[in-house]
Amino acid sequence: MPDPFDPQAYAIQAAALIGLPLAPAHLPGVAANVALAARMAAMVFAVPLTPADEAAPVYTPAPPPAA
Amino acid sequence: MTAAIIAADVRARRRSAVSVAEEALAAVAAGNPRLNAFTHVDPARALATAAAVDATIAQGDDPGPLAGVPFAVKNLFDLEGIATLAGSKIERDAPPATRDAYLVRRMLAAGAVPIGALNMDEYAYGFTTENAHEGPAHNPHDLARMAGGSSGGSAAAVAGGLVPLTLGSDTNGSIRVPSAMCGIFGLKPTYGRLARTGSYLFAASFDHLGPFARTLEDLALAYDALQGHDPEDPAQSRTPFQPVTGLSGIAGLRIGVATGHFAANAHPEALAAVQTFAAGLGATIPVDLPLAPAGRAAAFLITMIEGGNLHLPDLKTRPDDFDPATRDRFLAGTLLPGTWVQQAQRVRAAWRAQALAAFAHVDCFLTPTLPCVAPLIGQETMVVDGQTLPTRPMLGVFTQPISCIGLPAMAVPLARPGGLPLSVQLVAAPWREDILFRVADALVQAGLAAAPEVPA
Repeated sequence: MPDPFDPQAYAIQAAALIGLPLAPAHLPGVAANVALAARMAAMVFAVPLTPADEAAPVYTPAPPPAA
Repeated sequence: MTAAIIAADVRARRRSAVSVAEEALAAVAAGNPRLNAFTHVDPARALATAAAVDATIAQGDDPGPLAGVPFAVKNLFDLEGIATLAGSKIERDAPPATRDAYLVRRMLAAGAVPIGALNMDEYAYGFTTENAHEGPAHNPHDLARMAGGSSGGSAAAVAGGLVPLTLGSDTNGSIRVPSAMCGIFGLKPTYGRLARTGSYLFAASFDHLGPFARTLEDLALAYDALQGHDPEDPAQSRTPFQPVTGLSGIAGLRIGVATGHFAANAHPEALAAVQTFAAGLGATIPVDLPLAPAGRAAAFLITMIEGGNLHLPDLKTRPDDFDPATRDRFLAGTLLPGTWVQQAQRVRAAWRAQALAAFAHVDCFLTPTLPCVAPLIGQETMVVDGQTLPTRPMLGVFTQPISCIGLPAMAVPLARPGGLPLSVQLVAAPWREDILFRVADALVQAGLAAAPEVPA
């Protein structure tokens, strides 16, 4: 995380990227939630992982034939 | 009146299902203005379904193990003929559902009688059921306090005696949290156990459905009725019917108590409830789960991102129609970096591996369900370990790590005369709901677990 991180400026730019209009009245709440998410993200990035650590979801092309 | 007694009476023709339905409708009419648990009551459907149950019995046929038992569902379950609100104002514009949700169909097939739909946090994103559109659900033990959420109406309706059984959903704790606040039994089965077809999703990676009841026997009856395979749900695992009704006995079971994260972050009385149950069970094995807080953080991020994406079209066009309590979280969830969700999904797998390894040493472990008793409606902060923290996210501190990895869990109320309800979360390995029911039964038999009476 670059320091200082500005959640409000980030929210404005990210919203523009995905075409999401952000009302000024909603901006403080959105920025607070981005900041909270950043604290959660710091916790998941503190877990040491290796390339062998796969993501939890597993795609299934179709149910396998019954045995 | 329990579901078990109602079903026995109806099947033995001691009572008619119609008379039971009339009584339930009267209880809802009398009690709901205080609790605000129901958002929709359908007397015509209830009485017609009950009459059909009575007709089945009159023909000499068996309507099923829940014959004539009134039930209600969180309003994210489809009920044929009405719009599925999922706690929102936006979905009031949705067309009426054309078919009942799969689990509603299971309940009907068991002879149960639908009374209506229940209040919840908007789109299930919350632990409080302080719904801006419908008003808050109230805790039957103290109307000034939260019923919990997001399935707050489901818990309040059962605890308040309006119906003996309800259904709800649990993505991060939304069955267990309100069950704990209202002092009843609530089951979040293994992820993929019960079919979700016809329910409004929130964060599909974690969405579970399950039952609420005032007695363990009723919870088992409902869970057994709900089991069944629906090919329409891509997330359901094909498992055999594994009934839990009547299970008892914990001989040979290794029961542990979670340490670390689960032995802190809470008020002393919440931790004391765990010690009471542990002493009663002779549970002494410490269960160390150091990745639990990271698992909670992973669930937090994945939920936010999946939920935000699900609602992006409405967030773009009509953000002011959302509940202010959920809107800013959904909006923020649409903006988070992709690498966060991928890291969270990898941490989720690592956390699962650690938890599954723990089950080599124990069959079941105990945690507090909640860090506290039910907070006051509108209470924004709470003090834990000397720190002032926002109430809402703290309410999921013990439930969120467990649903993150889909372990079956049950909220079990501490038998407690007077005072507000306290609850312990029982957790077992995937697909071992049977162990939860055995351990809970031992607690009931010992007089330690029971739904506390609601003050008159």
